[in-house]
Amino acid sequence: MNLLNDIRFQILRHLRTLFRIRVWIFINLVQSLIWLVLFTQVFDSLGASFAQLPGLENASYLQFFAPGVVVLTVLFGSAWAGMGLLQDIDMGVLSKMLATPVTRVSIISSRVIASMVMLVIQALIIFAIAVVMGVNIVTGVPGVLFAIVLISLLGLGFAAFSNGLALLFKRPEPLMGVINFVALPAVFLSSTMMPPELLPGWLDTVRYFNPVDYGVVGVRDLVLHGYIWSDLWRSTLVLGAWATAGIAFGTLMLRSRAE
Amino acid sequence: MSVIVTSQLTKVFPGDIRAVDGVDFEVAEGEIFGFLGPNGAGKTTTIKMMNTLIKPTSGTAVVTGFDVIKNPAEVRKNIGYVAQDVGVDEYATGRENLTLYGHFYRLDGRTIKRRVKEIFELVDLAGYEDKRVSTYSGGMRKRLDIAMGLIHQPKLIFLDEPTVGLDPQTRVHIWDYIHNLAKVMGVTIFLTTHYMEEADRLADRIAIIDLGKIIAMGTPDELKQAIGGDVVTLTPCESGDEACQEFLRQAQSALSGKPFVLGMQPTDDELAVYVNKGESAIPNIMRLLANEGIEVESLSVSRPSLDDVFLKYTGRTIRAQEGTATTYVQMQRKRDRR
Ligand SMILES: Nc1ncnc2c1ncn2[C@@H]1O[C@H](COP(=O)(O)OP(=O)(O)OP(=O)(O)O)[C@@H](O)[C@H]1O
Ligand SMILES: [Mg+2]
Repeated sequence: MNLLNDIRFQILRHLRTLFRIRVWIFINLVQSLIWLVLFTQVFDSLGASFAQLPGLENASYLQFFAPGVVVLTVLFGSAWAGMGLLQDIDMGVLSKMLATPVTRVSIISSRVIASMVMLVIQALIIFAIAVVMGVNIVTGVPGVLFAIVLISLLGLGFAAFSNGLALLFKRPEPLMGVINFVALPAVFLSSTMMPPELLPGWLDTVRYFNPVDYGVVGVRDLVLHGYIWSDLWRSTLVLGAWATAGIAFGTLMLRSRAE
Repeated sequence: MSVIVTSQLTKVFPGDIRAVDGVDFEVAEGEIFGFLGPNGAGKTTTIKMMNTLIKPTSGTAVVTGFDVIKNPAEVRKNIGYVAQDVGVDEYATGRENLTLYGHFYRLDGRTIKRRVKEIFELVDLAGYEDKRVSTYSGGMRKRLDIAMGLIHQPKLIFLDEPTVGLDPQTRVHIWDYIHNLAKVMGVTIFLTTHYMEEADRLADRIAIIDLGKIIAMGTPDELKQAIGGDVVTLTPCESGDEACQEFLRQAQSALSGKPFVLGMQPTDDELAVYVNKGESAIPNIMRLLANEGIEVESLSVSRPSLDDVFLKYTGRTIRAQEGTATTYVQMQRKRDRR
């Protein structure tokens, strides 16, 4: 009961803060839109020949890439989630809070959930824009809801790891370093930009160790191909484990603060 | 009943830094207990062991009846903590900050509403409840910060250097709150400071801490009486250079062994001479120095202060370190938060 209340009141606080510093939400959304428009333009110039490539099955590059952009929005948004916690550390809010009876788990989980709420809204906006641009989501609204579950798990994991690293490093520079080092490669070492059939063999192996790929494969199935349950189950399980690992890491880092 | 009892409380940081080195003290209910010491003495570290933020390396602390290692959760319910640096959420309003803490301390919504109103009046912030903290002045933030430690009416409050960086007027204001908290509302207060005046005015009892060890403890009067008599401070020169040191050495040897001198303590540019009666000692001192050809720039008589107490035990003044305190404290604060 205390745990749920602690989480609830802190989520409200974090959402309030996010809305008051709107600029991050805005930047993340605009960045995703640039991905969507720019890459679609570039690849469309390749013309119809592109659609004939294996794995695309006559879909336009927009159709192929839009699910990836939804995943990117969540990836980049959640990877930066730890910055808010760093701000709390810097303002002296965190250590003061730790001297109160507040449940420790709630400190990380409320942050992560609040990030998720914001990112789901952003993902829905990207979905809507994609539809307006002409993307056809074959599984319709239920498919979008399923996709939201998948990207929420992906984002939960990244947000929790980001918060855990914030606690570990205690300062922004190393966290920014890790995010830059991990986020973009995580995109390229997956089938976000290219169908698996077009990837070199080694990359096709590497992507199985990349949580981003499980998000992209799942969401793309739902948008392009329909319910391919073998993929969807695997994505759900792997991303569930990823999210759990992230929360465990974050909470562990918080516990080890009082050494 | 003792609200705090520590026994051989010790914290060793990596690199064998003995920040707190076997301290023993007890704090009685309703008492204002002052922890006085210079920068880096181990004050914050001691507080953080008692409020469960860090684990002692060895020794024990029983706070409000609970052991900080075995039962940290119970300790947290009973204490309020106002850290050395302000710990308020700048993006939230004063009310939002306080309300969140009310929830953390498991108060129900109605109680929180009532307490918020009371507390904003108590700390003189009424009318600013719904303004963002980012628009508050430094003094207002500190008062909000203190308010957040009081919302649940704790039995015991830890105040870590509550008036650092505040203007004299705000400082006196906060001293009044602290005094009333203890004397009117019966809250026990553990206060750290490196301002002697603050310890002197507020604390019922004082422990003087230096390099992690308690070097003296008692009421302010007891501590000062232990020095005895008056202090005659000689300033034979203005700077702390070689010539000045030479002057100090000569003055010291001219006065040493004289029956009216109880003790002496030199610093960079001063010599403190402890005597029974200042008025009668001055002519003697002047004569002895004149015989040696030592010219004194200025000379003053005072009752012993806590600084003299500190000086007696450590050979340094707390005052001498205050000049560099601001930058040092700012550095320290950044680290304390992390
Ligand atoms: N986390 C830490 N890691 C390593 N050393 C530390 C740590 N915290 C404190 N210290 C060291 O322990 C000693 C005591 O520090 P502490 O902060 O307790 O002093 P303080 O009395 O509060 O000083 P101030 O008046 O400047 O706040 C200092 O030498 C400090 O450098
Ligand atoms: Mg300190």
